[in-house]
Amino acid sequence: MAYSEYWNPKNETLAREDLQALQLLKLRRLCEWAYATTPFHRHRFDAAGFKPEQLKTLDDIRRIPFMTREEWMDSQLAQPLYGDMLATEQRNAIRYHLTSGTTGRTPIRVLDSMKDWDWISEMWCYGIWGFGVRPEDTVYFAFGYGSFIGFWGAHYACEKIGALVIPGGAQTTEGRIKQIIEMEATTVCSTPTYALHLWQKAREMGIDLAKDSKVDKVILSGEPAGSIPAVKRQLEEAWGAKCGDTAGMTEVGTIVIFECSHQPGGTHIIEDHYIEESINPDTGEPTGYGELGERVVTSFGRGFIPVIRYRTKDMIMKVPGSTCSCGRTWDIYDGGIRGRWDDMKLIRGTNVYPRAVEAIVREYVAIDEFQIYLWRKEDLQDEITIKLEVKPGYESEWEALQEKLRKDLANAHEGLRFNIERMDHGNLPRFELKAKRLVDARPVAQYQR
Amino acid sequence: MTTTGTDLLGRPLTEQEQELLNVYQALKKLAAQPDLPPCAVSNVRKALSSIWQATNDLDLQFEQLYDLGV
Repeated sequence: MAYSEYWNPKNETLAREDLQALQLLKLRRLCEWAYATTPFHRHRFDAAGFKPEQLKTLDDIRRIPFMTREEWMDSQLAQPLYGDMLATEQRNAIRYHLTSGTTGRTPIRVLDSMKDWDWISEMWCYGIWGFGVRPEDTVYFAFGYGSFIGFWGAHYACEKIGALVIPGGAQTTEGRIKQIIEMEATTVCSTPTYALHLWQKAREMGIDLAKDSKVDKVILSGEPAGSIPAVKRQLEEAWGAKCGDTAGMTEVGTIVIFECSHQPGGTHIIEDHYIEESINPDTGEPTGYGELGERVVTSFGRGFIPVIRYRTKDMIMKVPGSTCSCGRTWDIYDGGIRGRWDDMKLIRGTNVYPRAVEAIVREYVAIDEFQIYLWRKEDLQDEITIKLEVKPGYESEWEALQEKLRKDLANAHEGLRFNIERMDHGNLPRFELKAKRLVDARPVAQYQR
Repeated sequence: MTTTGTDLLGRPLTEQEQELLNVYQALKKLAAQPDLPPCAVSNVRKALSSIWQATNDLDLQFEQLYDLGV
């Protein structure tokens, strides 16, 4: 059966001029809605002297104050559980999720109504369809289905498309590999790290996924690695399949960008449902095509908690949609999400904050100095190692300490595996003023300031 | 059939778009009725939520439906 290449041909090929007119109209309505219903936004708009009727051109978006995660967290702390962020009554919600917060950070809690939740899967439809998934496909989800939003929307998107969906759920990696083969899955949704782990484990089992499985598409999310050429190349060889990157965030509930089947080396922005700005993180001024900037998102989807000019701290570089041969007019983030402008690190899909790690390490009186060392194993898998020195006189505690510390760190980070390495005393750098205990030796760090 | 409506950008609706919009409006009307049995209320809301996606994607409407429990 012949299908359209686009999920929404009308808007995916819309002339830029019309697209911007649509964005302006939606932006004005969104701001009117937020001002009328959401104390959080009303107070901020008033403080900035902004009124929705001031939006005459798209450039007027700059009149709207930026929204930050810190403000959101503060609001939640002041008025648990959701702060003054809700635009409607809680009873209209059918779904609850939260960000993967760590010790010392307040997770962002979100609610969705029926239509918001459907919209979340709708955004995934744009991406999944755009990468080539069709009703004939069998899609396997290597996903734990918890309160982290992850691939939930993708699951429902595939059902909506009419594909056969296999929820991997809680089972062993071996069990998942057997299911992928037995059920003749043609598409796998996974983080890049776990897609690699599946391949390695399959190899140990004597299975060559490139030959023994029917998988021809791997849809990646949760880590920037999906757009790192070396990672993608290795994954595509390992699986004998095309690998497509996507990225989103719990704050908006779903994906914002996706790689189309033409694989342009970046990800298209779903511009009829979002305004994505690129700004200089220091000045807040807009950056142009081909310049590194911070991603700022405005979402037209979830009305329950309006997200307007939200500073993501993601590092991106926007290029015109015409750099891709697919015909979409939507701009592209060349190289996907390239990294972070702040100190948060994403390790295999889990947020790690150096301050939170330090809070745990410092509970151990036997530890003298430490360093958080991020590196990439075999150019593919992100690893985190805590290098530490034991205080003289506490050496006998080392064996027990390393095991307990490993567990404490994992428990505070969604089970993330930390490597612990003991250094000779005096080897780690000492700091007199502002300490720099984090070393990011991953290739992506080259983009960071 | 000739349509008279326009989308959010003022472009004339196609026949299919007009039909989609008609279905959307009909479901909104149904969802507002207070005396529907639970099996109808829930499924009408679900249907309305779905058709909201199509009509929103196609720039036929951009509005919230929380007052209808959607």
